Amino acid sequence: MLASHHRVGRGAGVLFAMLTLALAACGSSSTPSGSSSKSSLLIGVIAPFTGPDAALGPAYFAACLPAARAINNAGGVMGHTVSCKEFDTRGEPADAVPAAQQMVASNSNLMAVVGCTSDEAASVAPILDQAHIPMFCMTGQSEFNKTSFTYFHRLVPPDEFDAFAMVGSALDHFMYKRVALVFGNDIGSQAFVGPAMRALQGLGATVTINQAIALGQPSYRTEVTAMLNTHPDVIFTEALGPTDATYMAEVKQLNNNTMLPFMGTSATIDPVWFAAVTGAIGVQTVVAKFTAVDLGVSFSGPGYDEFKTNLDAVASQFPDAPKYSQRGATLHLYDGIIQAALAMDETKSLDPTVYNPVIHDVGNGVAGAVTVNTYSAGVAAIKNGQKVRWVGAGGLTNYNQYNNSQQGYILVRYDASGNEITIGTLTQAQTAAIIAAGGG
Amino acid sequence: MSLIVAAFGFGLVSMSIIAISAVGFTMQFGITNMINLAYGQVMIASAYAAYAVNNAGVSIWLALPVGAVFGAVFSFLLNRLIYAPFQRKGTNLIGMVIISLAVSLVIANVMLPIVGYYSVSYHQNPGTTYHLGSIALTGAQLAIIAVAVVVMLAIYALLRFTRLGKAMRATAANPTLARNCGIPTARVVDLAWLITGALCGVAGTVAGMNSDSFSVASGSEFLIPIIAASILGGAGSPYGAMIGAVLIGEMTEISAAIISPEYKQVVAFAVLVLVMVLRPQGLLAKRGALAAAG
Repeated sequence: MLASHHRVGRGAGVLFAMLTLALAACGSSSTPSGSSSKSSLLIGVIAPFTGPDAALGPAYFAACLPAARAINNAGGVMGHTVSCKEFDTRGEPADAVPAAQQMVASNSNLMAVVGCTSDEAASVAPILDQAHIPMFCMTGQSEFNKTSFTYFHRLVPPDEFDAFAMVGSALDHFMYKRVALVFGNDIGSQAFVGPAMRALQGLGATVTINQAIALGQPSYRTEVTAMLNTHPDVIFTEALGPTDATYMAEVKQLNNNTMLPFMGTSATIDPVWFAAVTGAIGVQTVVAKFTAVDLGVSFSGPGYDEFKTNLDAVASQFPDAPKYSQRGATLHLYDGIIQAALAMDETKSLDPTVYNPVIHDVGNGVAGAVTVNTYSAGVAAIKNGQKVRWVGAGGLTNYNQYNNSQQGYILVRYDASGNEITIGTLTQAQTAAIIAAGGG
Repeated sequence: MSLIVAAFGFGLVSMSIIAISAVGFTMQFGITNMINLAYGQVMIASAYAAYAVNNAGVSIWLALPVGAVFGAVFSFLLNRLIYAPFQRKGTNLIGMVIISLAVSLVIANVMLPIVGYYSVSYHQNPGTTYHLGSIALTGAQLAIIAVAVVVMLAIYALLRFTRLGKAMRATAANPTLARNCGIPTARVVDLAWLITGALCGVAGTVAGMNSDSFSVASGSEFLIPIIAASILGGAGSPYGAMIGAVLIGEMTEISAAIISPEYKQVVAFAVLVLVMVLRPQGLLAKRGALAAAG
């Protein structure tokens, strides 16, 4: 649909891109408090801040601010203060490329970049890798499972594992047998569909319908009617922006005011998504009928407490920040930024070619490394000549040779306030069986 | 087959909303020679104005006029403060289109810190669902269709039977000649922006009601079928826009039933391209109410 829009006015599209760049250049950046005689370092948050996936960018910006605060409160990275800046990709590869180029060209002090969702990672990652900038990406695309990009890091599993976790939860926990797949037609959401279909069919379940819905449409009543005609037990979904809210409201409306059970990906554990869908179908309906899979995070421990303290403290800069206290992506990107900062401290270098390889070591730990949960503790340990292992807000990191790290899944639902409640976990055996069935 | 019939029923609602908005959009072009790409964003701004009232506990139907008034005033000010000065300087049509695109971006980015990036929903009761065969429409949807019918009849009456309507048609046909004949074209243009802005506000509010959820980003999505319906019917022709709305509204819904939801707008645009190839002026360009006489 957006492609159609572009066809309407190609010349206008060029202007649009220029204006977007200009607006991106005017984008807010958090200025660290206090003064330093040394130059400041920048963390780029490259993600959709406008467009259908506009809910994603704030979740990542909410990761950067507490990380910057934690670092700056401990004296910065070797005395260099850290700040965050948003670079809007609009969730479109065509907009992401100039945004990434502009970010790299106009900011020589980039220490790391976070964000890069499935919408834009394929176009942004090569640019960042070529510029030697460590990146922590939230893409779930399987093409990054064995990536050759040296500067790429991913602290979340690929989307296909999310899909497998959904299948496992639906079949093993709820005993559903008939599943409707309703995903947005954007790159990120569609990454779930193939693996989910393979796993469902491999395990004997039925895919009653597979709908790739255009995001942001005013109505999906025809699509909903077609879906209801197939009589599914449950709907699997990820369609961000107002799309899921519109679709689910129409499901309830056209199903005699009765909502079907529906299950979301980890991206639906998000305050923006919660607000949209509860506004459309009511809080009690969401609490009763919705479940999701999420990254295996305990939301406890000293690393999480440190993150939470800093997250609450940055509400003066970003009032919505505290709402992301249980957003897995926010926790993991916070961890990635701190890992990069500790790698810089450990190597005593601002040169990414020097500190990038050490991010892996800070995440996984090396022999004799001391575990740290706060940045200040990490700096202190490094000053004592020790190696450190970061165990932060998201728990342990387990990078493989491609700098991919993952920790398993939990099955969750929302409470009436929008907080996440764990209602189950997937065992290793369950996960392995589903992955095998899905060809993962 | 029952799905296609149901889709046809849903298409009635879609076409009603597109008709209200497309008539406003095409009248702006016909009378003021302005292709206003900020129209979708003004729709959303108006929808949020109605939301503010609705969120304070007022029925959305009572908030609807607030959306209309907001759209009217906002559009009037946009023209007076931004578009008209550029037009007086002789900026050509393409230049004005680009300016309106910039205005759209500015509105969206100014709205974000005010209303946030969260999607919102009106507090509304969809009412009883009425069935006619496979067609199932709620009371609220039937009311939206009724609003569209009333608005279309009002626009027809305005253009056909009132002095203002005749002045609008004369201004659209030849503004210089109209001015020389004593028609206060500047005032006609101001009134045109107020009326089309009100249509924009009504359309934004009913679109928000119909979609159950909307956000700042919805503006660009709403604009696409509006432009398609306007061009299909013949740019500048309100009656053409009505026919365009019927075709686009129904084609998007029925194609979602027959082919795939993913391609619902692609099908509509394919038909649009076909019409443009066979009849570049659109379906009703020469017979439109705002077209030159004779």
